[in-house]
Amino acid sequence: MASAPATRQKATTKTRQTAKRPPANAIPPLEWIAAGVGLALAGTAIGLTAWDAMLGVTGPPAIEVRLKRVTPTPHGYVAEIEAFNHGGAPAAQVEIEGVISGADPASATIDYIPEGSRASGGLIFDRDPRGAVLKLRAKGFSDAS
Amino acid sequence: MDANATYGRALSRAFGGALLFSFPLLMTMEMWSLGMSVERWRLLAFLVLALPMLVGLSYFAGFEPTFRLKDEVMDALAAFGVGFLLSAVLLAIFGVLRAHDFGAQTGIGKVSLCAVPAAVGALLAGKQLGERGPGEREKARAGPLGELFLMAVGAAFLAFNVAPTEEMILIAYQMGPVATLLLMAASIGLLHVFVYQLGFPGETKRREAGGLLRTFVGFTAPGYGVALLMSLYLLWTFGRTDGVAPHEIATMTIVLGFPAAIGAATARLVV
Repeated sequence: MASAPATRQKATTKTRQTAKRPPANAIPPLEWIAAGVGLALAGTAIGLTAWDAMLGVTGPPAIEVRLKRVTPTPHGYVAEIEAFNHGGAPAAQVEIEGVISGADPASATIDYIPEGSRASGGLIFDRDPRGAVLKLRAKGFSDAS
Repeated sequence: MDANATYGRALSRAFGGALLFSFPLLMTMEMWSLGMSVERWRLLAFLVLALPMLVGLSYFAGFEPTFRLKDEVMDALAAFGVGFLLSAVLLAIFGVLRAHDFGAQTGIGKVSLCAVPAAVGALLAGKQLGERGPGEREKARAGPLGELFLMAVGAAFLAFNVAPTEEMILIAYQMGPVATLLLMAASIGLLHVFVYQLGFPGETKRREAGGLLRTFVGFTAPGYGVALLMSLYLLWTFGRTDGVAPHEIATMTIVLGFPAAIGAATARLVV
């Protein structure tokens, strides 16, 4: 006996729910948008990766080092440098060396330079490198991963 | 409008789930460098395999008993989008993504590697952490192949959390042959016990058909096999197997197989 009203109430809630809910196969616009954004992102990620895998530059890392600027500080002349990897493979533990005549060479290690990317660091000299001939180069690296 | 609001809430939950599942990876240094250094073909394979995996997961995690391809595909895509956006935003906040990473292959690599586990979290949370708790309605039934698929996803997911780290290789170097065999036995034992003895809530009841031996051959052994396979796949994807001696690869696979086996055993717990 007690179960009869309960069943009826359950039935009415159910009807209300079904009434409120749009037809079963109507997909709300937000769902379309979310799926569309997902599709675009997945397509971009897969497309770019595929493009890079098939047509990207191949070959070993080729690292160019450039001087950005020199700032005199009380603790030496800080030469900020940028290293570009123009090669087709990433380089890890890149050793950068800067030499000016008549002063101690300065060196720095950059953890990681992916292919086609740049990383920056600094060399510290005890003489102003701006007046002198500054030679910058990457001395070596280890393979990434 | 109402349907939009409901879906919006599910989407917000998905972001929460993605955060919960992926932040250990987003805050792991190796994931950043791997995103840049992973071989492009392997990353491509990983991304291309991830989408059907999400579709399958969407089916098993959902509550509708019928498989409707359009729904599952849309849910999987939305989950991937949530995972990708969340990873991109967090990595940018953490300073991992710099201005020159945007649109470049390095940025895509970093984000998409983290986006896949985040998408798994998004999918599970969007579907399950709702008002309707699991168990209220029967979850989609999984046949033997479905069970194997779920175990593979569980194994891959848990193994993925530790696979990129240096520690996996270090542990493999430190372990002798006896320790390796012990770890293997422990993995298999745990897998069996987790599934058949502990009876976690939310697990589908499994019939122990024909005693211990048959259960072992029919479920535990394939489960561990899948766990090992997933471990090897992840190690290969991350370039950990390149140039390494076969016995060392085997040890690494068994080491990573330990979390993978636990993941396989508890897959039904979350899915």
